[in-house]
Amino acid sequence: MAKRQKRFEVLDAREVNKDGFVTEWPEVGMIAMGSPNDPKPSVKVSNGVIVEMDGKKREEFDFNELFIANYAINASLAEEMMALPCVEIARKIVDINVPRAEVVKIFSGLTPAKIAAVMDELNVVEMMMGIQKMRARRTPGNQAHVTNMQDNPVLMAADAAEATYYGFDEIETTVAVFNYGPMNALALLVGGQIGRPGALSQDALEESIELQLGLRGLTAYAETVSVYGTERVFIDGDDTPWSKAFLASAYASRGLKMRYTSGTGSEVQMAYAEGKSMLYLEIKCIMITKGAGVQGLQNGSISCIGVPGGVPGGIRAVLGENLVTTCLDLEVASGNDQTFSHSPFRRTARLMGQFLPGTDFIFSGYSAVPNYDNVFAGSNFDSDDYDDFLILQRDLKVDGGLRPVREEEIVAVRNKAAKAIQGVFAELGLPAITDEEVEAATYAHGSNDMPARDKVQDTKAAQEMLKRGVTGVDVVKALAKRGFPEVAEAVLNIQKQRVSGDYLHTSAILDKDFNVVAAINDLNDYQGPGTGYRLQGERWEQLANIRHAMSPQDI
Amino acid sequence: MAQISETVVREVVKEILAQMANGTAVTPAAPAVSYTSGDAADMTMREVGQARPGTASDEVVIALAPAFGDKLKKRTITGIPHTAVLRELMAGIEEEGMKPRIIRVWHTSDVAFVGKRGAELSGSGIAVAIQSRGTTVIHQRDLFPLQNIELFPQAPVLTLETYRNIGRNAARYAKGDSPAPVPQISDQMARPKYQAIAAVFHIRETEFVDASKKPMDLEVRFN
Amino acid sequence: MSQQDLIAAIVKEVLSELNGGKASQPASTANGRSLHYQTDYPLSQKRRELVKTATGKSLDDITLDAIMSGAVQAEEIRITPQTLEYQAQIAESIKRPQLARNMRRAGELTRVPDDRVLAMYNALRPNRSSKAELLAIADELEKEYDAKVCANFVREAAGVYEARDVLKKD
Repeated sequence: MAKRQKRFEVLDAREVNKDGFVTEWPEVGMIAMGSPNDPKPSVKVSNGVIVEMDGKKREEFDFNELFIANYAINASLAEEMMALPCVEIARKIVDINVPRAEVVKIFSGLTPAKIAAVMDELNVVEMMMGIQKMRARRTPGNQAHVTNMQDNPVLMAADAAEATYYGFDEIETTVAVFNYGPMNALALLVGGQIGRPGALSQDALEESIELQLGLRGLTAYAETVSVYGTERVFIDGDDTPWSKAFLASAYASRGLKMRYTSGTGSEVQMAYAEGKSMLYLEIKCIMITKGAGVQGLQNGSISCIGVPGGVPGGIRAVLGENLVTTCLDLEVASGNDQTFSHSPFRRTARLMGQFLPGTDFIFSGYSAVPNYDNVFAGSNFDSDDYDDFLILQRDLKVDGGLRPVREEEIVAVRNKAAKAIQGVFAELGLPAITDEEVEAATYAHGSNDMPARDKVQDTKAAQEMLKRGVTGVDVVKALAKRGFPEVAEAVLNIQKQRVSGDYLHTSAILDKDFNVVAAINDLNDYQGPGTGYRLQGERWEQLANIRHAMSPQDI
Repeated sequence: MAQISETVVREVVKEILAQMANGTAVTPAAPAVSYTSGDAADMTMREVGQARPGTASDEVVIALAPAFGDKLKKRTITGIPHTAVLRELMAGIEEEGMKPRIIRVWHTSDVAFVGKRGAELSGSGIAVAIQSRGTTVIHQRDLFPLQNIELFPQAPVLTLETYRNIGRNAARYAKGDSPAPVPQISDQMARPKYQAIAAVFHIRETEFVDASKKPMDLEVRFN
Repeated sequence: MSQQDLIAAIVKEVLSELNGGKASQPASTANGRSLHYQTDYPLSQKRRELVKTATGKSLDDITLDAIMSGAVQAEEIRITPQTLEYQAQIAESIKRPQLARNMRRAGELTRVPDDRVLAMYNALRPNRSSKAELLAIADELEKEYDAKVCANFVREAAGVYEARDVLKKD
């Protein structure tokens, strides 16, 4: 254009216009909901077996469809539930007079295409009302990412302690470099128990390595066990529903909590969406999770958020996938875990869908480190946004799972965590952590503030940990010997969860006294005003008490 | 990445989108700016037979995804010519005294599986795999497909210097060294900016996948 | 769940406690009463006596002192098939049949060593195994580990993989 209109020049320079948007391309599945290629809902049951689903005969089912038909749909209810009109089911989701259990029962008999059609009847406010009622656990929760670009173990332990002190129920790490896995898991385990005993930790790695760390008690649960909505993408993900279900049983056989991961956009991103809408394919993932007998799912597009985020109605579809997860009676760790937009408005609006109604884990996770250190390529909110988040909770009287903290408290827990990991490293014969590193980690904003470590030595030591078979019990011993008996006790209590299996159940977390809080003893009973989780009493006072509010005495 | 302006990126994306059958170009018009350090056309590639497992221990395979180098726009997602990328990878390997061997993988466009196949065919057991959009991995024969030695998942932050370093590190792994990993910039804003476009890019490359075709040895001539 | 059911369950639970604390011994399960989510969950609190390690120790035996003295070893801190069966019953009572089924498969896999479980998982990945190899794993599960549900699950996979062309090539 020869001559620019000045307002458009300003608009083009706005943050939101740095985001990438694309138009729909339904032929390849670049469409959020309602692709013309999505099948029409149908079901036929013969002798207790689903012989037709969504317009396909059983002989034509791919492996995802076979798995869903065999395990995820209650064949004895399917024909009855499929006969209900979509709009009627959608209304039952929103209607406070219809209890959660009734909606769960209906969904147990629905096919993927039917569920997709039900979702298309709901606007985003109705979806949020649905999540408020259908979320499995009564008390909402939150999860954090704790990573750094240098895989620095001292910083990681301090960051983990800070995160759980803020109130995250779960913390997740991964590696900047493949080989660091065991060392990062160790730093997270120790640091996490210092900020708040009972916090669960995980390390997102290749499936079989991740399982090994769990078996050794270096992690408390697993989450990055991915499932996909088309057969071809599942194969490219190097798994099938059967291998993933077997893996789920393997985790449970060692008493380890786990959830699957999926999300809209992954199939089109991996180029084999078969022309189906993102939400329709995601519903298949959710049903595979259900069928495998896994207690929960991380979804909400996750690492593919830029894909639904780039098409019309994409963020509504992302909220829809969270809602479907709850309607299928699964724990939901609801995304918000990846950089999604340059625009703070879009970032906040995207969050509201999960924040306002509350989910089992509103973020999965919130970046408890500055985004430059987030090895998951950034999160929707990061540690620089803590006060914004805390004030959103206070403004709207919503429990997002975090509490206001004081600077001196954070300095103390960070320092303790750094010293504890220093002791554990010494005791386990890992490369030494200096006092200078402890000091730096205590006061650091991120890894740019840390002295460099010898990465070659750390990498070797991490591999050595695997070979030597270092376990959670070794960590307990090391902590006790180095003068951290209460931390040793907490790490031991994490180990003990693998004996009772209580936290294998839906939406299970642990409180600071290691009591399990799950969608059994804390089942969501929301049925309108005066019911369900209410932010009140001591907890509300705690959340209202932000750092910078002035009291009359201050003036 | 200082040499690449946003307008270049927009131009390339526009071109890719314009190629599509239904022509859904969405980016605003921007003046064309040509990339200065290399031309997309100055390389020819010829298949010289089915790739067999190598025997030379100084061999490092560069495994190309189906469209890299001679199809589509011959540029990465940020507009770097494939020719320049390939030159840097090879130079990095040669600098360490090792020999690059270039193969084309046809049966998949997934960078992990391209890398795994390349590593299986590599005399040293090490391969670098690269997709048209620029996503790169260093793979090793004995790892699972979705494991890797080093992964460079964010194509938009990769520069020619990074590609040189990737080649160099691959060669070092092939020699049995444990080099420090190639430094990576993590631009958390690459996702909102590029992810949807990267998906379209990958779909375009995947259209060239031939599930039944074996990996082929390539002869590459830089003009 | 109706309010009446909940109240009934609570009353029953309180009465059983009044009648001598451990009114419901492990035998109650063997006698045919399955565990119920309203009365028995969490097991570690409400039925702590039922929870044992792989070596028969109770949760209260796993103390820091016992760890330090070596009286409790890392390998012992493991869930048992019996505990997984209890948890499966609780899942069933709250109408989560798939979760219960997974816990029962898991109960069988407690008997399979770590490295075999990992190897079996890897063998089930796409294009990794021939049909015969998968069937051999199924037989191994059934014969060596008395894992019938898992064995049939792997047999089902072998059939599906054949039909969907994800068995090992060459």
